[in-house]
Amino acid sequence: MTLLALPSNREEAWRWSDLSALPKLIERVPTGEVPDELPWIDCDRDGPRLLFVDGRLDESRSRLGPVAIGAVAVETGHPLGRLAGKKGWSLKLGRDHAPPGLIQIVHVSTGAADHLTAEILLDADAQASIVETYVGEGWTNRLTRITLGKGARLMLSRRILGESGFVSLTDQAELGEGASLVVATFAGGGRDTRLDGEIDLAGAGAFAEAAGALLARGRQRHDVNLVVRHLVPSGTSRQVWRSVADDQAACSVAARVEVARGAQKTDGEQSLKGLLLARSATINAKPELEIFADDVKCAHGATVGELDRNALFYLESRGVTPDEAKALLTRAFVADALERVGEEKVREAFHAEAEGWFA
Amino acid sequence: MLKIDNLHATVDGKAILKGISLTLNPGEIHAIMGPNGSGKSTLAYVLAGRPGYEVTDGKVTLDGEDLLEMEPHERAAKGMFLGFQYPVEIPGVSNVQFLRTALNAQRRARGEAELSAGEFLRVARAQADALGLDMEMMKRAVNVGFSGGEKKRNEMVQMGIIDPRLAILDETDSGLDIDALRVVGNGINRIMRKPDKAVLLITHYQRLLDIVEPDFVHVLAGGRIVRSGGAELAQALEREGYGEMAA
Repeated sequence: MTLLALPSNREEAWRWSDLSALPKLIERVPTGEVPDELPWIDCDRDGPRLLFVDGRLDESRSRLGPVAIGAVAVETGHPLGRLAGKKGWSLKLGRDHAPPGLIQIVHVSTGAADHLTAEILLDADAQASIVETYVGEGWTNRLTRITLGKGARLMLSRRILGESGFVSLTDQAELGEGASLVVATFAGGGRDTRLDGEIDLAGAGAFAEAAGALLARGRQRHDVNLVVRHLVPSGTSRQVWRSVADDQAACSVAARVEVARGAQKTDGEQSLKGLLLARSATINAKPELEIFADDVKCAHGATVGELDRNALFYLESRGVTPDEAKALLTRAFVADALERVGEEKVREAFHAEAEGWFA
Repeated sequence: MLKIDNLHATVDGKAILKGISLTLNPGEIHAIMGPNGSGKSTLAYVLAGRPGYEVTDGKVTLDGEDLLEMEPHERAAKGMFLGFQYPVEIPGVSNVQFLRTALNAQRRARGEAELSAGEFLRVARAQADALGLDMEMMKRAVNVGFSGGEKKRNEMVQMGIIDPRLAILDETDSGLDIDALRVVGNGINRIMRKPDKAVLLITHYQRLLDIVEPDFVHVLAGGRIVRSGGAELAQALEREGYGEMAA
């Protein structure tokens, strides 16, 4: 038996979390059964594919390309990230590497818990686009360390699907001069989530964007805790989160921008919006700005509302059924966040998931 | 087609419609005129089923069926169309997506085959062209960034695509300049002036009625129809004002 040392709600960063299901989840015996249909995305720039079943690489259905499997050492103080261990995958690309195409990683969980650590290191001017899809029913826990050299660019898209269980993702990123990182997340399905991100803009002129669409129903919970640190001048950051909660579900987004002393000409923007589909649902939005420089542009906005009754009536008066009208308006609400996905085919797949959520 | 019998309705507990009776037969265009606050828009909303408008007495049937029992989308599927005085802006939903969803929902409800994307776009393009609305605008979000006149044209494009049997047009002429008024008026004639269709045209002014000639004109005042007549009644109103009739 394992004793889990989990953070409690008394800690500010965990106040909206509910980790109480985790001890039970890890006792669920994994079935090891992999679904016949895996959520690969058909795309023009097909690249490496990795299939992890309960945290283990399924070699017969993977092709690694430049991705390596083995020991990965990432230091972290994060209470869930710490559990991720010292094994996993890594991607290291240098300036002269040909772009490997779209890297797809599918994580299947068939019960209990699995932990993996990943390291993504892009040297100067290297580029990569990765899409990770999470399906299944256990607890999937991941720690990802991202290091981007001068002018490097990473597009990281994530779909969290599956029926039940829990997905916790902890990201730690450091961006060099002029580097660009976009992380876009879609959380639908029936699994609870905890998404933690720390993004450091350590080189001048770096760009970071963290966007996500969170859809929750039943008693589901999505919980995001995000910090973007502008450590040097002329960085740009965007945080765009759209939360939708129905029934007794709860979506919580705490997003902070920190601007260090001397990080002049910082341009930071936060947009946290919530949509309540039922009065019994909960949306928490906590935008924070901490600024120690005097020549910066930082904007933040947080709103929580319901569907526009005038718009609903307008749609229905044209023959759209009440359910379709709700779906149209809700899809439009989350579209902003999904537009951040760079690859067209991936973006279409994400939109299709959002559409499927209402079916 | 539409039979309104002694209709009473309240909004926020306040009585607005106080016994309206009116019958629209196929092939007829009826104009409803009247001063501000007489209940014109309330009548339109009650007929379309807007939440918050409570019918306290009376009966309305569409082709013999109880209209007031139907949800708004069911009324649309039965062939009713409401042209809004203030068309609603819907960010993030394109006109094309909205109208295709609406049209296909109606067709499903009537047991008809749905239109493919290509078939739908052909219909949409023809209607947009006829009303002088750029097809590019049809791809943009519903009414977002549209001028007042463009919104009203868009209502008529929607009406052309949906091709209803009964149109209730709530001050479709307001906010239009003379040229746009002609385009919209011709659109109403083209789409709705047919032996199997009927229109309830709610308006303040005579000018739309010069283009869309009504068969009947009714004056609404204080929640009741105080006078009915032919097209000549609208001309009399234009000369003399509502004062005497509404008194």
